Amino acid sequence: MLDIQIGEGGEVVISGRLDASQCAQAQTLLDTQGGVVTMDCAGLEYISSAGLGVLLKTQKRLMGAGGKLRLVKVNSHLQDIFRYSGFDQILEIEAGS
Amino acid sequence: MYIGAVSAEPSIHMLPTKGVEAILKVTSKLAAPFDLYTMLHEVVEAAKYVLDAESGSVWLYQSDTDELVMEVAENIPPVRLPMGKGLVGSAAATRQIINVPDCYADPRFNQDIDLQTKTKTRCMLTLPLVDPDKDMLVGVMQVLNKRQGVFVDEDIVLAHALSAQCVVALQRVQMVEARLEAERMRNELTMARDVQFSTLPSFFPQVDGYDVFGLFKPEGLAGGDTFDLVAIDQGIFILMGDATGHGIAPALSATQMQSMLRVAFRLGADLDDAFRHVNNQLLEDLPDDMFVTAFVGLLNEKSHTVRFHSGGQGPILHYRASSDDCEIHPPTSFPLAALPLDTSRPSKTLDMQPGDILAVLSDGTFEFRNREGEEFGIDRVAALIGQHRERSAEDMATAILAEVERFANGAPQEDDITIVIVKREQDHRAGRKFERSYKSLQPIFDFTAGFFKRTNLDPPMNIPVDFVIEELFTNMVKYSTESQADIRIDLRRDGDGIHVTLTDYDVEPFDPTVAPEVAVDLPAEQRVPGGLGIHLVRKLVDSVEYEYADRCSILKFTKKPSGETAV
Repeated sequence: MLDIQIGEGGEVVISGRLDASQCAQAQTLLDTQGGVVTMDCAGLEYISSAGLGVLLKTQKRLMGAGGKLRLVKVNSHLQDIFRYSGFDQILEIEAGS
Repeated sequence: MYIGAVSAEPSIHMLPTKGVEAILKVTSKLAAPFDLYTMLHEVVEAAKYVLDAESGSVWLYQSDTDELVMEVAENIPPVRLPMGKGLVGSAAATRQIINVPDCYADPRFNQDIDLQTKTKTRCMLTLPLVDPDKDMLVGVMQVLNKRQGVFVDEDIVLAHALSAQCVVALQRVQMVEARLEAERMRNELTMARDVQFSTLPSFFPQVDGYDVFGLFKPEGLAGGDTFDLVAIDQGIFILMGDATGHGIAPALSATQMQSMLRVAFRLGADLDDAFRHVNNQLLEDLPDDMFVTAFVGLLNEKSHTVRFHSGGQGPILHYRASSDDCEIHPPTSFPLAALPLDTSRPSKTLDMQPGDILAVLSDGTFEFRNREGEEFGIDRVAALIGQHRERSAEDMATAILAEVERFANGAPQEDDITIVIVKREQDHRAGRKFERSYKSLQPIFDFTAGFFKRTNLDPPMNIPVDFVIEELFTNMVKYSTESQADIRIDLRRDGDGIHVTLTDYDVEPFDPTVAPEVAVDLPAEQRVPGGLGIHLVRKLVDSVEYEYADRCSILKFTKKPSGETAV
């Protein structure tokens, strides 16, 4: 299951598993965001390639308008996925503690 | 006007004899395997016949739109009606039979249809078609203009009995059509898969000193993975790609990328330009949330290097024979079609030492989860490569796949699995499988010639070695006809000599070395055919041995340069 919502500081807080079945939900929320969007990934356990597609689409849209997507508190397992998929070169990724 | 409740089950005893006969007659007809349109027509004809009506129609209920749709009706074009509207809609909504003896006196009657069809509807019987078992509305049947008089109570009883037959017939047809539609879909998916598989290499390039192999195991009927291993002007093209998701759409993207790269290389593009332009073209072509991860490499078998770009395709495993360990490389850039590449990034180069292995696998392998939710992982793959380093590229790929399946322990495959292996042979060794066919002889000779050259073996010795291999290989082709498996040939340099092993898989034992000696000194007319080959084999090589184990026939021979050749 995936939970995605806007946190108190205006950041996107995502937790759970971003797999193919949860992409529409994530995309819908991300589509409402503009400018520099920070996504708190502390609770994100898993991301599939379809989930990477959601981030990519969002990053392209934000960059087109001078913004960008930042991922923060990314756990080490997900960092491997971002690294091995080359997404660390597309998104700003900050490691979690 | 008569309103009869469908739930009031009329007894069969109430049916007039003529009516019973009529219903039995149409029932047998409705049991035929018609398509939907024919069945609708037959149902209307049956209703007209049983109820002695001039005309009729059948409306099918569409639950998704909550509408009644007249797919076919005599003299009337297809019409859609919302639930509850008109006599048909009312009969459907209330699930009650409606008998209107004088249509023009009933406000629910739509006179437009009469105007369109230039007919006059006098009386009309409208009855809902309900599956009583599931309490499900199937449609509405309507009959117009009883030939004599108006529809009476007896007709309603008949109509009710008939409707039960029609419900069964229509449901059966709808079910068959749904099955056929599913079958058509499946056939189209199968065709898509055939197209996809046709773009994968059907044979692998013969590269001196290398053993290359790739396999693709899709999840479902078509997948987003692809691979390529082909000799081109620039070297051996190595591709392993994975488009987002799996199914038809990513399969098309992956195949598109593969053909773009092949064309780019054919037009003489170098690795950097090909990668950059294909990235930029895919970025234009694909939807914003689609991307393709890909390892695009070129093997130069002379300089023993693999130069590659990897768009988001990682980890890339490079087994080092010298340290018996896997180096793990991340991709060189982001996935193809993610962002534009204005300038080429530098490619990366791997040096392939003897015994080194390059393994590029799609994430379907690394991320395969077993029933406990544990992933197969990189370490397991790296360990398997080390464990099977002495085996052929094909055996290694197959062993990895088998181990993934064992690990899964029944957990379903959720993503495509693609494995591409490029192995540099140890300097003194080479092994390869060959199709069980005489067509393999030339590739075998190319293989041995390449090995002789690479290992600086005495060239004249190549001739008897080829002769003996051919003799033993054709024997296997001729006498082990029940096996479909390829035949493997291993070569090993030992000092100035060579050891050759032929392995014939899945066969009954057959030892050609025990064939009787041929009396070669007899005059031609007294000699019987056969046996000469093995006789020469014995003469030509220094030793020949036969083993049989695990349904494999294994023939080994040794050739040393001192042995003078008779050929």
